[in-house]
Amino acid sequence: MPETKVPPLFNELSTQLEPTEDLIQTPLHIKGQHAFLLYVKSVVEGDKLQQTVIRPFFEMASEESFASYIQSLPNQTKIPDKKELLINISSGFVLIAIRENHFLLDISLVSNNEVQDTMVEPTVHGPQKGISEDIDTTLNLIRQRYRKPSLKIETIMADDNTNRTIALLYDDERIDPDMLKQVKDRLDELDAPLIQAAGDLQHFINKRKFTLFPSTLITERPDRIVYNLNNGKVVIAIDGSPDVIIAPVIFFDFMSSMEDNYHVFSVTAFTIFLRYTGLFICLLLPSLYVAMTSYNPDILRLELALTVAGGRIGVPYPSFIEVFGMLFFMELLTEASMRLPKAVSGTATTVGGLILGTAATEAALTSTIMVIIISAVAISTFVIPINEMSFAIRVIRLFLIVYTALFGMVGLLVGFIGLVMLLANKESLGVPYLRIPWVNKNEELRMDKR
Amino acid sequence: MPQTKKRMKGFYSGIIVIALLLQTGCAFKDIDKRIFVLGVGIDPSEKVEDGLRVTLKLAKPAGDVKQEAAQSFSYLSHDSDSVAQAFYDMETHVDKKLDLGHNRSIILNKELLSTDLDEPMDFFTRRGGTQLIGYVAVAEKTAEETVTFAPDTEPPATIALYNFFDDTGTESPYVVTTFLFEFRRQALSNGKNTVLPIIDFNEEQGHFIVNKSIVLKWGEEPVELTSSQTKHFNSLMNKASGFNYNIQEDDLHLVLSIDEVKMKYKIITDEGQTPRIDMQITKTGVVSESNKRLKSSHLQKYGEIAATDIEKKVMELLTMLQENDVDPFGFGLRYRATRLSRKDIMEDWKRIYPEIEFNVQVKVNLKGTGIVE
Repeated sequence: MPETKVPPLFNELSTQLEPTEDLIQTPLHIKGQHAFLLYVKSVVEGDKLQQTVIRPFFEMASEESFASYIQSLPNQTKIPDKKELLINISSGFVLIAIRENHFLLDISLVSNNEVQDTMVEPTVHGPQKGISEDIDTTLNLIRQRYRKPSLKIETIMADDNTNRTIALLYDDERIDPDMLKQVKDRLDELDAPLIQAAGDLQHFINKRKFTLFPSTLITERPDRIVYNLNNGKVVIAIDGSPDVIIAPVIFFDFMSSMEDNYHVFSVTAFTIFLRYTGLFICLLLPSLYVAMTSYNPDILRLELALTVAGGRIGVPYPSFIEVFGMLFFMELLTEASMRLPKAVSGTATTVGGLILGTAATEAALTSTIMVIIISAVAISTFVIPINEMSFAIRVIRLFLIVYTALFGMVGLLVGFIGLVMLLANKESLGVPYLRIPWVNKNEELRMDKR
Repeated sequence: MPQTKKRMKGFYSGIIVIALLLQTGCAFKDIDKRIFVLGVGIDPSEKVEDGLRVTLKLAKPAGDVKQEAAQSFSYLSHDSDSVAQAFYDMETHVDKKLDLGHNRSIILNKELLSTDLDEPMDFFTRRGGTQLIGYVAVAEKTAEETVTFAPDTEPPATIALYNFFDDTGTESPYVVTTFLFEFRRQALSNGKNTVLPIIDFNEEQGHFIVNKSIVLKWGEEPVELTSSQTKHFNSLMNKASGFNYNIQEDDLHLVLSIDEVKMKYKIITDEGQTPRIDMQITKTGVVSESNKRLKSSHLQKYGEIAATDIEKKVMELLTMLQENDVDPFGFGLRYRATRLSRKDIMEDWKRIYPEIEFNVQVKVNLKGTGIVE
């Protein structure tokens, strides 16, 4: 009986992986049967390893039967080249050697696989659970909801420094192949040192350095994912991120909430109306204030003009600095309440919003109407259902204020037209950004290949 | 080193951009640096020969509207050769920019009406802010007194004179409204004479009285309409609602409240006939006061009584206007519009109008006695 030696591959791999405390390389032997295991302890599920590999080894009659047993396991995968093998081992694969044969088993331990509540896009009706930070759980959740053989999942190993898994999901029957190719090309070309979340990835897929509007949509809602898959869009999931990317998108996707589908027509119509009103309010109101108080007070009704003029008595700075200042404080407040722990954020809003607002008017630093405008703007910013868009709007309205401060009402109009032109010029993976979806919802759902 | 240099460059340009963003455009003027002109009164000047005295009513914004008892105004008067000159002179009398963008009332002195009005009104028709929103009116007393008069019913942040004319406040058939652009249009075109409201005020009781009007004859003495004539004219011409009508027939006394008025007319100039105007008037309303018990079955009868009475009044008005050779209804305009255009069409009309006959038919539909039976 020849003395069983550690396979050369093992030595080679372990020298590359060392020094790591949690690298385990164990030989198993009983009655002349030998096997070798190589894995990283902290990412491998110990119990499962014990159950599926170690115990059967001691119960099997021969090495051959153990080998064929291992080969039949569902989590057994082909052995890739050495570089990828190293990545696999460090992400929770176990390498098994039986004589000259090597097997690779996926026994990774995933502790972030709980399904998250929908935090960013909550709805009253509809699913209350989002997806998971673990990509397998996410894929599971999507497959569970979209049971069609035509749903294809392609995984790509990200070429960054953390080697995350990126999964590409699409409905083969509905997707536009050109668009799919474009997405794949973009993912292949990906050249980023570190990709941590869907937002990150979106930024790199986007390619452009300066963008005002998001050209892909990030969501955490499984119902939105399924809805978009059904409409022939690509969903990109990345391991470790609780959101996925949906592409291509149009502007109006950002303005729709999934809840629109769950209500009766009148309610939906009303909420959509509210949402678009909110959009225009938070985009235009600060600039309108500047335009109306400083350039064209004739537009206002006389009563309002006199009240505004009265409110501005003693305000030391011109209107647009007043607006910038108040908006700045409002943005600080929004930012602060987002970053603060939940227990404290309530206090921050009260102190910032109520006390500061009242004090500012008392001290004649701003006019009362300004405070009303700022709060209206702050509230209506949150009416936009997708956060990315509301962030974008927050930035864009500053540009509009600059335009208005320079050229008044005309400037506001020119700025707004410029904005529309920008939107019309933009495209998301070949789809015009401002495309108006004329088809109604049912047709859209039934739509086959375009 | 070039790295640092590049960064410094970026830093400086950033600062310059931020500094530029704090600049404003040329027309930028905050609302508290403007003062709104809410009324302009034009009188003939006593100091300057052939000059005008212009009075401006300026609104003083109040810090807290709720706590003020009444709107506070300040007034500026200045004598000069022309309105524009006076206005530019007065710009040196206030520290704020005079903003005509909210000016809706232009009040003229009666004496000015018989002179050439082109010159004083020219400034306003050229001025962008006020040309489409201004109302023109005539002061019973002087324009200065009328403009500076503040009625008791004027709460802060409103102005009583506006509410009279824009139908947001009072709606009365006694109040005629003439916009500046109408004034201009009618002044320049042939076939229609402008009607302007006359504003009077009662100083003791602190209120305005707007119930008369005046018909302009360009460059000549204007024709004043009594308040009853004004009412009839306004209800026919502008379909003014809230028309009240008082009928005295034998011992029956009725007050009708008419809420719908329809008027159409036709100018008939057939060969061989005296030219005439057929006018059909339909008024619909209810009885609002009576000294007797009324029966709804007799409604038609009351309507007929009212119709004959109204017919008489309208005839009187039309003949009076004809005798004075003024045409506020715009019959001449209609004649011009419906006849083949030729060079001396207005000369023809001027010949026809003094001898034209009026044929007025009035129909009064009473919808009810106003009482629930």
